[in-house]
Amino acid sequence: MSVAEDTGGVKDAGPWIEAAKSAYTVLVDETHLVTRLYGMVNVPTAVWINEQGRIVRPNEVAFVDDRFKPFHGLEAESYLAAIRDWVEKGERSAFAKSEAELRERFLPRDPNHVLADAEFALAEYLFRTGHLPEAIPHFKEAQRLNPDSWNYKRQAWALSDAQRDYGTTFGEEVKKLNGRPYYAPRTLPSEEEKRD
Amino acid sequence: MGRAGGKVLGMALVLAAGSARGAGADGPLRTVLWGEAAAEVGAAPETDPDLWLTTADLARVTGFVLKPQGVCRDDVCVPLPKKREREFLRRRSKGTLFNLSAFARLLKQPVAHDEPLSVWYFGERPEQRGDRPTSVQAPDFALPDREGRTHSLSDFRGKKVLLVTWASW
Repeated sequence: MSVAEDTGGVKDAGPWIEAAKSAYTVLVDETHLVTRLYGMVNVPTAVWINEQGRIVRPNEVAFVDDRFKPFHGLEAESYLAAIRDWVEKGERSAFAKSEAELRERFLPRDPNHVLADAEFALAEYLFRTGHLPEAIPHFKEAQRLNPDSWNYKRQAWALSDAQRDYGTTFGEEVKKLNGRPYYAPRTLPSEEEKRD
Repeated sequence: MGRAGGKVLGMALVLAAGSARGAGADGPLRTVLWGEAAAEVGAAPETDPDLWLTTADLARVTGFVLKPQGVCRDDVCVPLPKKREREFLRRRSKGTLFNLSAFARLLKQPVAHDEPLSVWYFGERPEQRGDRPTSVQAPDFALPDREGRTHSLSDFRGKKVLLVTWASW
């Protein structure tokens, strides 16, 4: 199931959906609902969910190929192989996390990030109802409260003139990373580690 | 509070009136975004940064009704903290007013407010966003496809789901 995190809704995501002609379900998320519910900060982000609706691998960068590998350095094939392994073996897969592992790793969401979600959602509503100038301070507040969220930066920049309204561009912000990773590092266990 | 892990709806919001802000007798009408729906309520009855609503507006916007045992919706009631009634209720000659902002703080719902346009947004509670140490369940949601048909994550129970988010930007 893929979900377009697009404030512009079908207008912006539609052409991509039409071109892809995928066999699986594709949804349009114009209020960034999935971003909020899952605490996602970037795209493409994937979550593995089992037959009982339980998370098996939480938020992880998920490229299907290596077209952007020069930028982020992550290889797609190892991730795809992990998915196939999980499809075949289910909870016996080395890549499927147990409930215990997930609970161990649980961290409550940063309250500022939760507030950022509310500011962004308000900004989206104001934008959608024709109030872009009033939306921008709320987009900025969301960005300030959750500086880790590239979703909140890039979506807001895409809705108006980033340089004019936010004083920056995607390119400039990426340069500021100065070698730090754009995506959170992915850690896939090797098959050997969990063979026993 | 409500069904555990209740689904969050991502339907397009019911849009309030366009750029002209309607005015009540005592000031601008207010827009309240609660549970993915937008509702207009009367002008502010109190000069207070919090959102005070008449009990009629409270019921219409949130489905919550004030009862002796607490603030109730369907068959679930949230008791108001003892000795803190005044944070939540003000008895006025025209009726009781309810502080939805304070109630949201009690339920740990985030709130955002645009003062110029009198719009309040109330976000999801922690249990709705899987923000609990015991929550390993994937938060459920309902969203439309390209053709406007609604699908829920829970429609796919019984199958493995690879949930991937992307964007045109």
